[in-house]
Amino acid sequence: MKIGKIEISKIIIIVLVAILGIMASYEFLELRFYREDVVVSDSFTEEKMLSDWLPSIKNTAVDAPVYIFDSGVPGGSVLICGGIHPYEPATTLAAYVIMNNINVEKGKVFIIPRTNMSAATLGMLGNAYPKFFTIETEWGEKKIRIGDRATNPLHQWPDPFVYVNYPSGQNLAYTDIRNMNRTFPGKEDGSLTERGSYALMELTRKENIDLYIDLHEASLMYPVVSTYVAHQDAQDIAMMASMVLSASEFPMKCEVSPSNLHGLTHREVGDYSDAYAVLMETPEPFIDRVAGRMTEELMTDGIDEFIQTAAENDLIYCNYDINEGITMPSGYVVKGAPMDYRVGRHLSATREVITWMGQFDPAKEVIVTFPGFIDVMDNGSGFYLSDPEEADESKVFKN
Amino acid sequence: MRSLKVLLFFVAILMVFNTFVLAAVTGDAPIKGETPFLLTNAGQGPGGKMARLLMFQSKALLPTDFDYNAEPLKEDSTDLTKKDYEILFVIIGSSAKGLGASGITIDDEIKRLNLMIEEAKKLGMTIIAAQIEGDARRGKTGSADERSIDAIIPFADYIIVKKDGDSDGKFTNMAQELGVPITYIDETLDFMQVVQQMFPTE
Repeated sequence: MKIGKIEISKIIIIVLVAILGIMASYEFLELRFYREDVVVSDSFTEEKMLSDWLPSIKNTAVDAPVYIFDSGVPGGSVLICGGIHPYEPATTLAAYVIMNNINVEKGKVFIIPRTNMSAATLGMLGNAYPKFFTIETEWGEKKIRIGDRATNPLHQWPDPFVYVNYPSGQNLAYTDIRNMNRTFPGKEDGSLTERGSYALMELTRKENIDLYIDLHEASLMYPVVSTYVAHQDAQDIAMMASMVLSASEFPMKCEVSPSNLHGLTHREVGDYSDAYAVLMETPEPFIDRVAGRMTEELMTDGIDEFIQTAAENDLIYCNYDINEGITMPSGYVVKGAPMDYRVGRHLSATREVITWMGQFDPAKEVIVTFPGFIDVMDNGSGFYLSDPEEADESKVFKN
Repeated sequence: MRSLKVLLFFVAILMVFNTFVLAAVTGDAPIKGETPFLLTNAGQGPGGKMARLLMFQSKALLPTDFDYNAEPLKEDSTDLTKKDYEILFVIIGSSAKGLGASGITIDDEIKRLNLMIEEAKKLGMTIIAAQIEGDARRGKTGSADERSIDAIIPFADYIIVKKDGDSDGKFTNMAQELGVPITYIDETLDFMQVVQQMFPTE
């Protein structure tokens, strides 16, 4: 059948394709432009952008908000980076909890909750998993986006056959040119991701950052899960922190950054600045290759029967039990690896390295308080997030 | 909960700076230590560096009392004879990152450990084997951790082990077979108390 000279079947196909395109665009754009409302504590003093330390990334996809909490009391300075790999979202949530609750009595704290903003604008390519997860708060559900591991290819393309890290010359996998934790110490006129890393290095150098903390999550089959990885200059700080945490709150290992493994924060930040560099990992079942369906529940409760089987066969590198749970040194019994457990780990692990930097290097002491593992295990992460609708407007930011 | 958090933190600090509080050391009494000694590790894990840190934190030893060498005999055949070392203090535990950093495989490491033990025995050194990181540095049979343990423990004159690293009784059984003393620690931090008992400052 024809309408004029056009067949109806062709019209139907065009309309169907248009509908599918609109639906796909909505999904795509929702994640790309979604921003979370975040509330900062009374210690907040200033918001800057990463481009303030490298103007060439201004208005690009890797520019990111930097929140500054300055006590005004001379002391050390700390930079806390979440979300350099957005598909490790306990890092961003931990940063939000710190921002919302931190009290800085001495020194200065910089927080970047989404360090690779570009990578937070898309989902993991090729993996069917949810764009968002939600957590319960006292004022309702808070929706937080997940994201990818690497810079959005719409922002940086094409990838080379082999990525050669600058300036080490080390060969890395081709996709690592978009992995911001492989492009350190960055390159001033390099790719977008390399410039992002360079901007972080410039911030670290120009603001005289004493302690650079890079928050991550790891698959349970990765040997450095539940671990600090510290530059050799920071090894005493991280080792003491790991031993204290392991005795009092939760098991935490420590590894020293290999001097011949380049591109990562724990190596290059320590080599190319005066900062102590520490990276920390929590267990995230969602990103394990053997995990079952990638659902929001898996992201938030961390319970997966396939990883349980792996655990029973000694194939993972941390304690994991979805049935009886694991009893922590602090007395809590943890089943699986839920979001609150992972956020709590990051909070206490961050606090502990800050504390030990002051013990080993009193001139760099930073005195801060914010909720820790025990608080979050008791009350949940959402308890420590304020309602943006009720908060003072000057304390609310889109991130 | 804030008070509990503060209490836990306070306890942790006390454990570090005052090991008379809450330290948990059981089993045989630590043997008497002698200086100078050589501190090293088996498996290239971070345990050796942790032990060095705790030895200093214990205040029981001076920097001149011991040397730390992560890979004795790798490049220098005189590593064990540079001083009149009384003890070879080996911290056992393997790490892929550590092996990678050293640019070696576990096979290379085991060869070096065998040579090191043979040399130490020839020199009449007391061999102390310590596993202070617990179950985090245990693995399946044939793993780098287990091979490192098997390379050292049969030659030990004294064993120190973190309790959760001996949940299968491997260290206890080996100590019984060898007829050597074994001391257990609850936490890695408790290693400081063992050091203080081995090297009393009075």
